[in-house]
Amino acid sequence: MESGWEEKKLKALFSELKATDEQTAPRFAGVWNRAQIAPRRIRAFNPAFVAATALLVFGLVFLAVWSRYSQRTPQEPMVVIVPTAPVPTNATAPSPSNEINVKPVTPRKILAVSRANKLAARRHAMLVAANRKLTKDANTIANWQSPTTALLTSPSDEIFSSLPQFNQSTTQLKSFLPTRSN
Amino acid sequence: MDIAELKGELERLHSASFGWALSCCRRDHAEAEEVLQTVYLKILEGKALYRGESSLKTWLFAVIRKTAIGEYRKRLLRNLVFIGSSEKCDDPATSADAPPVIFERSEIQKQFRVALAKLPPRQREALHLVFYEDLSLREAADVMGISIGSARQHYERGKKHLREWLNETETDYGIGLGRKETQSAV
Repeated sequence: MESGWEEKKLKALFSELKATDEQTAPRFAGVWNRAQIAPRRIRAFNPAFVAATALLVFGLVFLAVWSRYSQRTPQEPMVVIVPTAPVPTNATAPSPSNEINVKPVTPRKILAVSRANKLAARRHAMLVAANRKLTKDANTIANWQSPTTALLTSPSDEIFSSLPQFNQSTTQLKSFLPTRSN
Repeated sequence: MDIAELKGELERLHSASFGWALSCCRRDHAEAEEVLQTVYLKILEGKALYRGESSLKTWLFAVIRKTAIGEYRKRLLRNLVFIGSSEKCDDPATSADAPPVIFERSEIQKQFRVALAKLPPRQREALHLVFYEDLSLREAADVMGISIGSARQHYERGKKHLREWLNETETDYGIGLGRKETQSAV
């Protein structure tokens, strides 16, 4: 009995809800017409299609760039170092012909080369740096002067540098004798 | 069934379809209309094809339900992506009052809507299909894509919840909700 009443009450409440909804429902023709127009709009702005196209274009561009650089790098050695003369080890100053010629390398090329080439370039660069340092050290040693050299010079240096010879005359030899004050 | 014939049938079922879409969209009128439009679009494009395996109403309601779930997920994703944007939140209690109120609603009707919104979706769907759309439990189960046993369970549990709500309303407002009339009628 109680349950039947409740069901009837629920039914009444749902009926009231239905009546309200029916009055606020949009017209069938309006919804149907919008649905007929909608496909073109949806096809034009399909985000999945746009995303897939963008991904494809990006992939193609990446492949093109990658293949271009992967073909170019083996043909173009990155660094060419041509030492024209051995590194000087004596104390003489290096002549201009002894300098090491290094071909200038642009940063763009360095970025593009493969890893092996990069390692080779690094090794070459290190070698060049070492050679330069060696040359600089040799120059420094060659031009070195003792700071006490000035102390070794005296006014009598001239006398010591001109000693009497055996074939000189006595008058000439007298000049070497100490003068006596008398 | 050709498109003209199908269109006639859809027109006949339009208000019922809208009511069902409203229930699936937590009483959000704008969303329900969008869902219904998407359903018609699916039918027009041939994505939703009626093969006559069940009644047209059952098939249509199943399509509406699936579309509403899909749209709800999309909306949820959009809200997650654009978190912090000024989109409105889906509060069932407020969304019931979202469309312009044309008709004066009784307080009981308002409370009933809130109580319905608070029900778990399956229970609400089962009750709506049986009481609102006058479908049998088997048809309701077909629409919901579950077994008749499960449909019955959801229906009974939903009814129990609403019964409790009815008792609370009686106590709160001190009204008999037509008990006297019914008892006198019996």
